[in-house]
Amino acid sequence: MARDPKHDILFEPIKIGPKTMKNRFYQVPHCNGFGSEKPFSQAYFRALKAEGGFAGVATEYCSISPESDDTHRMSARIWDDGDIKNLSLMCDMLHERDALAACELWYGGPHAPNMESRCVARGPSQIPSDFEFLTYAIEADKDDIRYLQNLYVEAAKRARTAGFDIIYVYGSHSYLPQQFLTPFYNHRTDEYGGSFENRARFWRETIEMVKEAVGDDCAICVRMSTDMFLGEAGTQLKRDCLPFVELVDHLVDVWDINLSGIAEWGEDATPSRFYPQGRALPWQAAVKAISKKPVLGVGRWTNPDMMADAIREGKLDIIATCRPSTSDPFLPKKIDEGRLDDIRECIGCNVCISRWEIGGPPLICTQNATAGEEYRRGWHPERFTKASNSDNDVLVVGAGPAGMECAMILGKRGMRRVHLVEAQDDMGGTMRWIPQLPGLGEWARIVNYRKIQIDKLKNVEFIPSMKLSAKDVAEYGAEIVVVATGSYWATDGLNGASHAPIPGADASLAWQATPDQIMGEGKQLQGDNIVIFDNDGYFMGVSLAEKLAEEGKKVTLMTPMGHVASYMHFTLEAPNQHRRLHKLGVEIVPYHLPTRVEQGAVVAAHVYDEDGHEKSFAADGVVWVAQRRSNEALFRELKDSIGLEQLKAEGVDALYRIGDCEAPRLTADAVFSGHRLAREIDSPDPSIPLPFKRERRMVDDASVAMEKAEYAAMYAGATAS
Amino acid sequence: MRIVVCIKQVLVLGDEVEFQDDGLDVDPDYLDSALNEWDSFATEEALQLRERLGGEVVLVTCGARESEAALRRCLAMGADRAIRVEATGRDPFTVARALAEVVRAESPDLVFCGVQSSDAVQAATGTVLAELLGLPRAAVVTRVGYDEDARKVVVDRELEGGLLDRVEVDTPAVLTIQTGINEPRYANLRAIKQAEQVEVDVRSAADDGMPAYRVRRMFVPERGEGAEMIDGSPAEIAGRIAAIVKERLG
Repeated sequence: MARDPKHDILFEPIKIGPKTMKNRFYQVPHCNGFGSEKPFSQAYFRALKAEGGFAGVATEYCSISPESDDTHRMSARIWDDGDIKNLSLMCDMLHERDALAACELWYGGPHAPNMESRCVARGPSQIPSDFEFLTYAIEADKDDIRYLQNLYVEAAKRARTAGFDIIYVYGSHSYLPQQFLTPFYNHRTDEYGGSFENRARFWRETIEMVKEAVGDDCAICVRMSTDMFLGEAGTQLKRDCLPFVELVDHLVDVWDINLSGIAEWGEDATPSRFYPQGRALPWQAAVKAISKKPVLGVGRWTNPDMMADAIREGKLDIIATCRPSTSDPFLPKKIDEGRLDDIRECIGCNVCISRWEIGGPPLICTQNATAGEEYRRGWHPERFTKASNSDNDVLVVGAGPAGMECAMILGKRGMRRVHLVEAQDDMGGTMRWIPQLPGLGEWARIVNYRKIQIDKLKNVEFIPSMKLSAKDVAEYGAEIVVVATGSYWATDGLNGASHAPIPGADASLAWQATPDQIMGEGKQLQGDNIVIFDNDGYFMGVSLAEKLAEEGKKVTLMTPMGHVASYMHFTLEAPNQHRRLHKLGVEIVPYHLPTRVEQGAVVAAHVYDEDGHEKSFAADGVVWVAQRRSNEALFRELKDSIGLEQLKAEGVDALYRIGDCEAPRLTADAVFSGHRLAREIDSPDPSIPLPFKRERRMVDDASVAMEKAEYAAMYAGATAS
Repeated sequence: MRIVVCIKQVLVLGDEVEFQDDGLDVDPDYLDSALNEWDSFATEEALQLRERLGGEVVLVTCGARESEAALRRCLAMGADRAIRVEATGRDPFTVARALAEVVRAESPDLVFCGVQSSDAVQAATGTVLAELLGLPRAAVVTRVGYDEDARKVVVDRELEGGLLDRVEVDTPAVLTIQTGINEPRYANLRAIKQAEQVEVDVRSAADDGMPAYRVRRMFVPERGEGAEMIDGSPAEIAGRIAAIVKERLG
């Protein structure tokens, strides 16, 4: 198919300083867990976006000095020649695919915990980080300031050597240059604090120096947050940012404009729960209105009409994406080819970001199971090899996220026939009703994308409203059977805190319920006072609290944990979710575990109170968001009652299970599980994941000899004291 | 009880369409094929009657070898036999003539067709077939009751405006079956595999009759000036339509 002419504007080249981007699609800096320590994973991950049509692709934040070490979180680093070498692989692979490479030079100041380097960072004022515990910076004197600025210059030169085309002087998310600009961080009274000119001085000088050093060869990009939502103390658009644009516009080749500080950077990487696509556009347009240079900006862009409008209306020049480019690295190509219904749209769940926040693990994506697996598992999101056992027919039982993904990928791998059989009248499983929770509408894309794809696959047939017994499965006629029957919420209060049911908990009673019953079956609890017991720790408890409170209930949200929805801190949803719950009058009771439940009251005790003092909480109704259990009855019956031998006699050569049916997990991991099985359906034992490539230093005889010799030499002249 | 179900492998248009160079048909590259939706209901209705009364369900289609895919789909649902009449004509007269000979030879108690095919949407083949066979027919049937003693069917016919007409029809008869009359069953993989092994009885049709129409040109109609929405009472709307017709006729 051909590109819609109204999207042509997205494919016009644009000049940025000494470089030219071939179109308007750009991947802004975003973390992936690879940094410069896993160069192949890094390079393959970024290069795939270039293959998918992105004209510019950036690193994640790239530390310019051991003083800015974000361990436990994973940044890139450009500290020495080794880092140059490792990051140059990414540059080469991007250039081979006709894309520009960008490097985001980063210095964290008081936010850098330096847990690996054990250095101390320098910053504008000595106030501990609002993002990281127990982390202080040296209050920089003039020499320190020169030292810091020189770090940027030297790092910029190293980045140029590595092959980067675009060099960032990165301020957004409350990092060093913007700390100087912001009264919240900058309490100085010298020429680097106070007035706008003084607060802007550090950043302006640094940009000048970097421009002087590499500006002839590289485009200079400045990433600025245009509102930190901190009131007077934060950076503000009119007071600080627009004047700053006027001040340095002549030095800058491209502006990267976004929102937020670091402590609540969910205002930038907006969860779909709270913000629509293109949320920052008014701020981006304000900069665009006064700058003579191209402006790029994020907005969780997945809709090409909105992208084209933003450019046509003069609000942006370049469409920048992080999450949508991870969810679908081929977003530009699919728009170019007019294949809009093939776009795997980001759902804005921020599970990708959660992995960075946790610190360490590679990113994952709910929509794109191949994200982060490009190198280590060799998975390409758009290309599939024909399975060597593709002459088999496959029955997938259960069309939730895992079953849909598995059937879709098996279809793409050319299996002869795939039957996706579902007891309900449509696809989705629990993901049919999860998007009906407050704010989660975009999560429906998980089901919609797969439904459209499955509909296009001639070898995959969806069969609704068919509940198969174990005997039906055995006699179905498939050589390969995949059970994907999902999970259910425990009805007896069984939970991971006490590892026991809760006395009195029984969701078969009219006044108690589980999420499945409320959302899937429409069960309604009578009375005003509802206690929700949440030991899940993610979206379910708080979403039900919000829903029931909106319906007029007086909701108490009780958890044995220290926070409700702890995982939402990692997905950046926590601050606004807390605001919502607070506004709705939801009472939050942390550190409490129910000891027994009776109609009218939940009796609970503080988890650290060894004297067992109990408190009673009024409860006309109780909701158990306690834990999930696999729906494994069908699998057990097939494996244990019928048995693999008998299945074989019926022609079933292989029996697998995937997703929550194995063990309940994040949707991203359930989808991954279905994808993994399909990718490896022709491996020697598909039930066991194939090993993935690990990027690590390998010990060999030469390196052992060398290290031992160095160690011995180091202490050759030293004496014990 | 022998029920013959006449089915069709229909052509399905993709998102984009191109015509052949001669302008007489859609370029096959832009076409997919599938069992006509109505025919799965007709097959299901026949299978349910057979399950109640015994007998056999015989499928007949008219078309090239590829159209056997539709037959095998219905065989997998549970039909007993399948006949394909080798013929290329796709207009209702040609198809009905090709079917009539085979259907007559089966001496069926009932003949089911779908109300219409989703590609041609002419709703004519069943009626023409009844005429050729000299059998009574009922169209757009939404319920079939069979009176074994009287050898009659009592059927509900769907009329315009949500009306239903219940009529008694002597058998043999031709019924054209409407979607929604039942829930067509899905075949499991074992049934599909077994259906693949069934030998389809292929017949040829000697056709010397006139087609219902000839295609002179296929094209995308030019875009009109847009629609006018007419509001008002039925009388006012009728008056306005009459005025438009008069105006356009000059």
